[in-house]
Amino acid sequence: MPRSLRGKVAIVGVGQSPSGRVPSRSPLDLTADATLKALADAGMDKSEIDGVLTGNAFASSFHRFSIALSEYLNIQPAYSNTLQVSGATAGAAVNTAAAAIHAGLADTVLVACGDSLLTGMTPDMAIRAMTESRDQQYEMPFGIPVANTFAMTAQRHMKEYGTTAEQFAQVAVTFREHASRTPGAQKTEPITIEDVLNSKMVTTPYHKLDCSLISDGAVALILTSAEKAKDYTNDPIYILGGGEYYSHEHIFLMPDLTQTGAVQSAKKAYEMAGISANDIDVAGIYDCFTGTVVMMLEDLGFCKKGEGGAFVESGEITYGGKIPTNTHGGMLSYAHPGIPAAWFHFAEVVRQLRGSCGERQVIGAEHGLVHTLGAGFSTQATTVLGTESTL
Amino acid sequence: MNDLIIQKPLPIADGDSQAFWDGLKIGQLLLQHCADCGHVQYYQQRICRQCQSENLQHKAASGRGTVHSYSVVYRAPGPAFKQDVPYAVLLIDLEEGPRMISSLVGKDFDVLDFDVPVQLETIKITDDVYLPCFHVVNK
Ligand SMILES: [Zn+2]
Repeated sequence: MPRSLRGKVAIVGVGQSPSGRVPSRSPLDLTADATLKALADAGMDKSEIDGVLTGNAFASSFHRFSIALSEYLNIQPAYSNTLQVSGATAGAAVNTAAAAIHAGLADTVLVACGDSLLTGMTPDMAIRAMTESRDQQYEMPFGIPVANTFAMTAQRHMKEYGTTAEQFAQVAVTFREHASRTPGAQKTEPITIEDVLNSKMVTTPYHKLDCSLISDGAVALILTSAEKAKDYTNDPIYILGGGEYYSHEHIFLMPDLTQTGAVQSAKKAYEMAGISANDIDVAGIYDCFTGTVVMMLEDLGFCKKGEGGAFVESGEITYGGKIPTNTHGGMLSYAHPGIPAAWFHFAEVVRQLRGSCGERQVIGAEHGLVHTLGAGFSTQATTVLGTESTL
Repeated sequence: MNDLIIQKPLPIADGDSQAFWDGLKIGQLLLQHCADCGHVQYYQQRICRQCQSENLQHKAASGRGTVHSYSVVYRAPGPAFKQDVPYAVLLIDLEEGPRMISSLVGKDFDVLDFDVPVQLETIKITDDVYLPCFHVVNK
């Protein structure tokens, strides 16, 4: 039997700061706010946290964000790190925290991230964020930050599979509908496919409304061992499987522009969980751009390669469809504070599995999937979550 | 007006890449050919990415390639590129095999398409930096 952490670790606390436009609050402040709410959600005292994993914040000068956050909260963890695999950091941090708990490095790990991309960036920080995103020698001199790498994969997908701009736009329209039911969402006014296609072109094929928002905000998750989980909550949400894949650094060395490492990361996560894509009831999929979601639906196994556009068009990613996705509204409509963005996907899928989503609840959801990715599909992290009934 | 003087990110050559940037100054796009396994690679490093051999030889590319994908950029990625938009970024498949990122010379986006033939054109940015860009070859 391959080693596995299936069912060994659970998420017992979820908290988030205000998000959207939240001026005059530092990334550390926002992340501490989310942490205190996650602790309250778990009914836990901060003294029980002995591990801290975070991503980095662009609008913070701290290079060791996890250490700075611990000091801010007056926590002295026995296990800590600040992870950096771009947009996949959320999934990588949850997987890594689960592994650390399973291995005995820590009992209870805070997995948190916050940033203020919208209101907290000085011009220097903005330039740093822009230039750090791609290689300084072979990519950035041509004016190609990360958005253009995703755009070129989408263009090629259109060429190879006939995917249309309207199909991409439908992703934005669907997630906006979802956001309209979510308290705290940054964008809630309904949009149409025409609105997306008529919004300003950013980088072909992506219009402004095909692109994620820019936001402030933070999310905190608290993970502990399955044995301890029941001390805190009646609804622990278990980590059933984790898988990651890192296929390239430069976009020109991506093995295939239209098939990503999500195929491999999902395969590993499904195998560990002992299930397939067909068993997943609700998903959180990293939605930096609309086309990213179309491609991930294929690579995660929810539909066949090349059929992602039609899958979205026929209503399969909303209520009543095959896989309701980003029921909070995602980065396209709920919030996108940078690296923390995909933490919101975790928060939403955990709440769906707890059955606490009110009017946006996916009835009877037991298996959830969160897929996070970044850096022009360089980094991929999949996590399969489940209720107690799935163990 | 301050926007116009914000420096673009310029490549800074390192031990791996000095020969590459020197080559561009005399109009050559250098690729690394592995004498042991035959692998041709872009970009420059000490070892072959296929067999880890250090037996690599620099050879100038023909400069011929085709467009694998592209995107026309209308919103500048930061102030340094504001005066350039719109411009087209390209993924070029070189005749010798490797794929590379580049950008289109000029703004004739109508001729841009998947798989169209392109030709290398080095563009002077500063006295020390020439970038390998491409233009579409008229059939
Ligand atoms: Zn070799």
